[in-house]
Amino acid sequence: MSKEAPLSLAERDFILDAVREGVRLDGREVDQLRPLRISFGREYGHVKVQLGKTSLVSRISAEVTKPRDDRPFDGVFNIAMELTAMGSPAWENGRQGELEPYVTHVLDRVIRHSNALDTESLCILKGVSCWSIRADVHVTDYDGNLIDAACIGIMAGLQHFRRPDAVVKDGQVIVYGVEERVPVPLNITHKPLSVTFHTFCDGKRVVYDATRKEEQASEGDLVMGINNAGDLCFVSKFAGAPVDAMTLITRSSVALNKVKEINGMIDKALQSDLAERAKKGLAEESRAENDRIIA
Amino acid sequence: MATPVYLLPGDEVPSDRLPPTSNAPLRLGPGLRLLSKSHSRSTKAAPSDHVIVATEAGLLKTDLKRNAASVLTFPNRRYIATPNDLVIAQIHHSSQDYFHCMVTPHAPHALLGQLAFEGATKKTRPMLKQGDLVYARVLSVGVGAGAEVELACVNPATGKAEPGGLGPLTGGMVFDVSVGTAARLMKGSSASAANQQDPVDGLVVLEELGKKLESIGGFEIAVGRNGKVWVDCSNGGDSAIRATVAIGRCLTMIDDHDLSPIDQKKAIARILKEMKLDL
Repeated sequence: MSKEAPLSLAERDFILDAVREGVRLDGREVDQLRPLRISFGREYGHVKVQLGKTSLVSRISAEVTKPRDDRPFDGVFNIAMELTAMGSPAWENGRQGELEPYVTHVLDRVIRHSNALDTESLCILKGVSCWSIRADVHVTDYDGNLIDAACIGIMAGLQHFRRPDAVVKDGQVIVYGVEERVPVPLNITHKPLSVTFHTFCDGKRVVYDATRKEEQASEGDLVMGINNAGDLCFVSKFAGAPVDAMTLITRSSVALNKVKEINGMIDKALQSDLAERAKKGLAEESRAENDRIIA
Repeated sequence: MATPVYLLPGDEVPSDRLPPTSNAPLRLGPGLRLLSKSHSRSTKAAPSDHVIVATEAGLLKTDLKRNAASVLTFPNRRYIATPNDLVIAQIHHSSQDYFHCMVTPHAPHALLGQLAFEGATKKTRPMLKQGDLVYARVLSVGVGAGAEVELACVNPATGKAEPGGLGPLTGGMVFDVSVGTAARLMKGSSASAANQQDPVDGLVVLEELGKKLESIGGFEIAVGRNGKVWVDCSNGGDSAIRATVAIGRCLTMIDDHDLSPIDQKKAIARILKEMKLDL
């Protein structure tokens, strides 16, 4: 039973009729995001994302490794996502369904291949040691639009994460503990996010942030990866009827607005989390400018 | 009203809280089970050797009119089939004698006899295909692990679709709510006006929606104990889809938030306004 339970005919027909009228089951507009909540855990790089009823936890971690032989100046960045039975009864532990490779591929393209995280800054000593950053995504509840939610989780995590400081002294790599030295934020070059639309009615209707039922009734999806500057770093449309070129262009401008809106929400969540940490006195330690101003 | 009785799984139901003994047998609803006392050695079991034990946590509910008792659970989402429950099942596939139905997704299929419909014969039986919905009654749940749940759309004793409305559901839309909310919706439909003030039973949502949506032609509804609610507004003309969506939103909202009857009415008014249905 590793497959998603099929929709009943009544549900499918109704969702299609409703989309044709521009009505959605939860009363949203066609281009409206579900309520999004981003919260951070106690440690750096621990993010909880709640998008409607889809919820996930992403966790960024770092360790020192040897760089790859062909890229001695580059650090390592990996995204690990496993869909376990915790997220949905349709998923089985240890068995890969159709969704998992697809979501991982899109995340890889949007975040890793677009160089959102500057891997060169992760190099500690050429060819000898570098940081390996790993992003784990755990889905805790699934109600559609996993790609966008995971993307938000990873990007927020990368911006929130602080890695321990490391220096090279006489050819020796010294990694300082979080208590010894102020941990360093990662070098983010740009903030791409994915925006997933689903197509209905032979590609004539395009709906943003579909729920699980809407996804099941749809013909196919259209994923765009865009950053705040409007650079399109990923577009995919693997299934469904062809979508008009004009629709694609208008959707991309919609997607840009969405990315700006969501990035704004991430920034706000990050800032309020930082303010919260400052209250606890943690930010006093983690503020880098202190040393410089005094020195 | 007497103080409510809260039960945990394994708790014995105090006999003074059950409906007073009458000639009619006591009907046990979901969450209750009749067990014989283990320490009694006598082969002839007297009635007092039996106790009624809760199998689910919740509030004891008694119905004097029907001489019935059941446990109203918290709004969980796991449905455990109990005989005589009304459920909305989805046909998964059909075989020689049975339709194999999904009552809960990703759970073993339930069986629905090909001829277990009102007036069905070999020639007139309904031809249901994959994805069709039926409103059915749980006939038996079997005993032990791996037992199959059997459904029927007809009362085997009378050959009628009792209670009315059992059978295939065409058109409309299905909304998912928690099992607890579905039970409360069922209670609400059979409850008297006095019961409506009960904070636990008090789901005024269906009555309120019925009043408000009368002008567009009303709606049909079927509540399944497995947490599914089927809604059809096909009389609604142009606003049929919006009305159905509005009903679904009201139901999911009441499911997500614990609302008092007044708040329920306010929320319904707000949703109808948002869906441009406040005529």
